[in-house]
Amino acid sequence: MLKYFISTLLLINCLKAISQENKSIDTIPVKTKYGLKIGIDISKQIRMLTEPDYKGLVLMGDYRVLDKLFLVAEFGNEEKRVTNEVLDFKTDGSFLKMGINYNVYNNPKGLNNEIYVGFRYGLGDFNHKLNSYTIYDLDQYWNQNSVNESSDFTGLSASWIEFVFGFKAEIINNIFVGLDLRLNRLMTQDEPTNFSNLYIPGFNKVLEENNFGVGVSYSILYQIPIFKK
Amino acid sequence: MKKNIIFLILSYFIISCEPDDICLVSLPDTPKLIIGFFDESNGLKKEVTNLKIQGLDNDEFYFFETTDSISIPLKNIEKITSYFFTKDFDKNSGISSNDDHILFNYQYNHMFVSRACGYVSNYDLNQIVIESDSQNWITKTEITNLAVKDEKAVHVKIFH
Repeated sequence: MLKYFISTLLLINCLKAISQENKSIDTIPVKTKYGLKIGIDISKQIRMLTEPDYKGLVLMGDYRVLDKLFLVAEFGNEEKRVTNEVLDFKTDGSFLKMGINYNVYNNPKGLNNEIYVGFRYGLGDFNHKLNSYTIYDLDQYWNQNSVNESSDFTGLSASWIEFVFGFKAEIINNIFVGLDLRLNRLMTQDEPTNFSNLYIPGFNKVLEENNFGVGVSYSILYQIPIFKK
Repeated sequence: MKKNIIFLILSYFIISCEPDDICLVSLPDTPKLIIGFFDESNGLKKEVTNLKIQGLDNDEFYFFETTDSISIPLKNIEKITSYFFTKDFDKNSGISSNDDHILFNYQYNHMFVSRACGYVSNYDLNQIVIESDSQNWITKTEITNLAVKDEKAVHVKIFH
């Protein structure tokens, strides 16, 4: 839990920095923009640089329907190979998440920054390919513990909900960057026969002892201004 | 803004650390085949003196002791496991007074356990064959538990 605490502290620091920068342009009268933001979750690309067995692309969009309320959709595709001491498998699949963000930050006039809480409903379709596995046998007399038979588990699906906390800042006109943290809870899943959904694209790593997961996203978004108020 | 971007990247690395999953030794591993030795005349438990157990094509002894029951491992990716059961074995001279070749024929199933432990094997016993020689000390075998899923009860009785 400590790591989230540290991250939250960092996040608060970021916000402080943003609010300080914003003070200087307080006086410029600008209308509030309403529009469609589209962009990508750049955290997947960062992850591809640091994790060789991961590929992912996530597109994001939000639309400001009310002063404080945004409709949000995310669509993506992920591929992840997991190898540990006993398993070697690859999961690939795509997912769609829909939900809302509620901006709890009172912007000085003319600014469009957000500190938001949100909710998502996620749906994923995925496949696992088990490449090899190890038989858990403490007795090594016959030493027949590694099995190199591959098997496929296809056409699986899962649904989950996510609670989101994050912020967005307009760094240049109509360009936003954001960071959010997510707590996920798995609602339904197709259990593969004689295997388990250890990773679900969009949901992230699945823990075996509970239904909760965590996620993070860094977004870069472009706002198409539709109208101003 | 530079400061913010550094924070973004920094917090990514903090979040992405995952605890390693550990397979607890307390979890049951692949079960062994449990064999009990019984008297051929009265059906009571009977010890085998200086029993040596060694697998076919395996250079190591699996077991050497006087006992009335033993658990032995089966192969996980072959359907037959062969052992030599030797009675009255003299460890010093290495003379096998009487060894019987015994073949266990079974079906194996690999059952998923967890991310950290992987799979375990369970077995369904089909048949036990004692290769005939001039002086078999094993007179009869009986499968009492076809399914080898745990080590709670005797799976096979050997009469001598």
